[in-house]
Amino acid sequence: MTFSLDLITGAVSFLITLLIFSYLIGDNPLFRIAIYAFVGVSSGYVAAVIFRQIILLRLFQPFAVAMISGSLLDKSLTLVPVLFSLLIFMKISPRLAGMGRVAMAFLVGVAAAVTIAGALTGTLLPQALGAINTFDMNAALARNIQPFEVIGSGAITLAGTIFTLIYFHFGAHPKPDGSMRRLGLIEIFAWLGRIFIGITLGAIFAGVYAAALTALIERIAFLINFIGKFL
Amino acid sequence: MADLIKCPSCGESNQPDQEFCHYCRTRLQPLTSSTKGADAPIKPGQLPTKKNTAELEPILPQWLRDARDTARKSAEDDAALAAKKAQAAPASSAPDLLAGLHSQADSDEDETPDWLASITGDTPKSRKAQAESPEVRWVELGDAKDFPKEEPPAKSETPAWLADINAANSKPDEKDELGDWFRAASSTDEPLQPAKVSPFEIPSSNDGTADWLKQMAADSMQDDGSGFNNKNEAFKAPSSSADTPDWLRQMNEQEDIKNETPLRNESKPAFDVPSSDTPDWLRAMGGVSEEPAQSADPFNFPGSGSTEPEAPVIPAVPDENMPDWLKAPSPVESASKPRKTGQLPAWLKDESNTPPEEEEVPVWLAETPTPVEPAAGKPEPFLMDDQSANLGDDVPGWLQAAAPQSSVFDIPPSEQPATAVSDSADAPDWLNAFKSVDASQQTPAFSLDESFESSAPAFTSDPLEEKSGEALFTEMPDWLSNVTESSSSRSSVTNPESIAPGELPSWVQAMRPVDSTPSRPVMSSSPQSSDQTLESRGALAGLQGVLPSVPGYAPTSKPKAYSIKLQASDEQQAHAALLEQILAAETEPVPIASFSALRTSRTLRWILAAVLLAVLTVASFAQTRIFSLPTDVPYEIGSAWQVVQSIPEGAPVLVAFDYEPARVGEMEAIAAPLFNLMKNPALTFLSTNETGALLADRFASGPMTSLNNGGGLSYSNLGYLPGGQMGIRAFAEFPSAAMPQLTGISSFSQFSAFILITDNADDARAWIEQTGSARGAIPFVVISSAQAAPMIHPYFESQQINGLVGGLYGSAVLEANNPGGPGTARAYWDSFSLGMLLAMVLILGGGLLNLGLGLRDRAAVREA
Repeated sequence: MTFSLDLITGAVSFLITLLIFSYLIGDNPLFRIAIYAFVGVSSGYVAAVIFRQIILLRLFQPFAVAMISGSLLDKSLTLVPVLFSLLIFMKISPRLAGMGRVAMAFLVGVAAAVTIAGALTGTLLPQALGAINTFDMNAALARNIQPFEVIGSGAITLAGTIFTLIYFHFGAHPKPDGSMRRLGLIEIFAWLGRIFIGITLGAIFAGVYAAALTALIERIAFLINFIGKFL
Repeated sequence: MADLIKCPSCGESNQPDQEFCHYCRTRLQPLTSSTKGADAPIKPGQLPTKKNTAELEPILPQWLRDARDTARKSAEDDAALAAKKAQAAPASSAPDLLAGLHSQADSDEDETPDWLASITGDTPKSRKAQAESPEVRWVELGDAKDFPKEEPPAKSETPAWLADINAANSKPDEKDELGDWFRAASSTDEPLQPAKVSPFEIPSSNDGTADWLKQMAADSMQDDGSGFNNKNEAFKAPSSSADTPDWLRQMNEQEDIKNETPLRNESKPAFDVPSSDTPDWLRAMGGVSEEPAQSADPFNFPGSGSTEPEAPVIPAVPDENMPDWLKAPSPVESASKPRKTGQLPAWLKDESNTPPEEEEVPVWLAETPTPVEPAAGKPEPFLMDDQSANLGDDVPGWLQAAAPQSSVFDIPPSEQPATAVSDSADAPDWLNAFKSVDASQQTPAFSLDESFESSAPAFTSDPLEEKSGEALFTEMPDWLSNVTESSSSRSSVTNPESIAPGELPSWVQAMRPVDSTPSRPVMSSSPQSSDQTLESRGALAGLQGVLPSVPGYAPTSKPKAYSIKLQASDEQQAHAALLEQILAAETEPVPIASFSALRTSRTLRWILAAVLLAVLTVASFAQTRIFSLPTDVPYEIGSAWQVVQSIPEGAPVLVAFDYEPARVGEMEAIAAPLFNLMKNPALTFLSTNETGALLADRFASGPMTSLNNGGGLSYSNLGYLPGGQMGIRAFAEFPSAAMPQLTGISSFSQFSAFILITDNADDARAWIEQTGSARGAIPFVVISSAQAAPMIHPYFESQQINGLVGGLYGSAVLEANNPGGPGTARAYWDSFSLGMLLAMVLILGGGLLNLGLGLRDRAAVREA
């Protein structure tokens, strides 16, 4: 029997899989060994990737090229990331942390702008239009969907959207007994919205369970295949 | 007549079962229940229980052991001496009526401590035990059987260590207890000869006043020739009549003599002051007053005999040596001529038979109720008796406790019961203050003498004025008779053989504040001193009348009854009710909705895990095909299928690997069937996850190796795209700038299709949002994990993505409709189906079980 790389990796994978499965009996050192190994290996790999693909290839190499053969504009453009990186690097010292505020402000501002613009143009408006278009007969017919199905699906989608939004409406008025309760109609819609939310969370839970079950099946199949190689 | 109870107030005998006195209605039975056994408190007259404290002897201090040894020796000697004296003493011829007086006289003699008597050079006398009638017992003493019927002969109360002091005092050269200044003063004066001390030579009673002050006062009083001193002498006068007490007869004679020769007391000094113990200034003052006393003896009465010692001649102190306050009233003048009545205080005026003058009464005397209003020519010896009675009580506790063998109840014999009273008019104010204490306030509040002094009805003027002297002798009041019994009872306490065993050592119990004179309450029969409650427990156990009820504090009338009903109007009551309601609502605890803690059962968890593992392992190992693959293609999967199949061969396709390594098994199983539908496109791998590049390489070298008949895929791995959404935005805007490794692509729209493989809805949303404007018309297919598919599906409904394959179900659909045959999804499908079925069964079973338990609980609550 030759010890090939696949055999070694398969044996390590088999061992680590068993260590992870040992969590079934509770937190134990075997499980921790596997977790620590995974975290350590992942961190080392991530550090290597970041250094190689970001610091080296996107920071020092362009800067070096610009410094060597680039124009003034290139030098200036490549100097900005280096300068900002150094300013952010100053945050390791509490006394010099203030120097990194400019770079951080730039990053936060750009990230906020990108996120808000993307959410507005990529989620809010398109989702609103999608909720409206659920009753679009032409689109439904184009997708070979029957009109009653379109109406039913659209009605459920619209009701789910409205009821879910109403559920998160917390405006209330005081009652004579001192309690704070929402209006009766809103209370009913909120209750219905709670049902839709429950269904959604149930679907997500089912998806999580299905994903985990698939991963478990893959691991069991791996173990069976690995053991089957020696049988 | 056996076992009678004698009333402590009136002295009358009562039946033992009577709670109150039949005559004066005084409570005879104590209110407090007496404890029994060892815990029983010691009672007045009761001897301390004898304890075997031999083991405690070593821990006693040396001085105490020496004192005990000395006391034992002296007690034996004194007992023998007392027995001799008792045999030599003639039988008393006085009737029973005078027995009390005789006893009191004896007790008065005994009340002078030995150490006081020894200071003056007098030999302490042994006590004379008097047997009490066994048929009569006092209330305070408890049952008659509690006390010995036959009392042993009294022993000398003088302990050995006190005897030593006496012996030391008898030696003139040795030091005594007086200060050096006192001794020095005596050494400078002429030596006096106190060879024979008259009965009046007792310095004073231990009432808190300094002895030398009382001695000085006695000297002054003697000069004045007041009958007060004569009263003292009356106790020593021989009896001229068998029926008449000596002291009363002596008082009569004294009164007669005083009326005849009020100032013929120059023969002898009134008191033989031991000049050796007197300081200069005091002797000077006393010498002045004693100068006329050299020629007159106020007690040289026919009946008194000639036993009085020769008084020493004390030279007068020159006036220039005297202080001013002593110069002002010349005692010579006061001795040579009768003092004006106005110059005497009230208590002296009474003695001198001078009508009191209201304007001359001092304030301190005016505030003090005058207990005695003697009739003219009949001086009352109450002060003498009172003070003499205090002699025994004034022995300090430490002195009594230090002599354990001698009874603490013994009162040293006193040979001089008289109290010297000086001329208050000639004395300064501070001296008058002492006199006032001597006259009226010399006894503490809880002392029995207070009642004796303040409320003795025998001293009221009414019976004395109304009755003649003979009537007074024949009608002896009860309190005088009780004195005899009190003395006898007191002597019974001194019996050391009657000590009963107890818990505490005898010497410790001797230190307890047990009243040694239980018979004295009989002297106070007035309502003011009627509170003779015997303290039976606590620190005041044994004391009687310690906390007397002050008449001034007692309620004089019925307290006014006030209505406790609240006078409030209806509106006020309504407001109060509202306030109570608000407060009740505020203080009412709000029940917190508590949920039963869902404790994870380890056994249940192991069972579920074992079942699940067993089912999945068996299904995977058996490679069963129980469950068929889904053939119905959902719209999103069909759209994805169409997009993938529409990608031309060799077209650039961007593939983003944004999932975690833990999802490799699922994501590769989902993505492989879709990539199997492609027609050998030019794939560009990209990832916003650091591990994405590694996962892309794993995917290309793993499941995709069998694609295209084993030819695999041609791909370029751009690696990690940093910056999150900003990186995606940058890549969408400037792909080549963001990923320099990307060649041949200047814009995002140059890709034929964009395939996103992710297990996170946020990553899918980021790609959808940031590439929406740059994507254009290129198709966008998302291959997601089952956990992210529900949240990505809306983007398909909104037509932001063109296809969605989610979970193993989507992969199974693709494989079921893929002409390439079954793949990984088919291998996992039975296990996946069993696992999902098992999960549904467990969830439904758990739900039904929970429902049943809930219904049972509700039924139980409803029944309750």
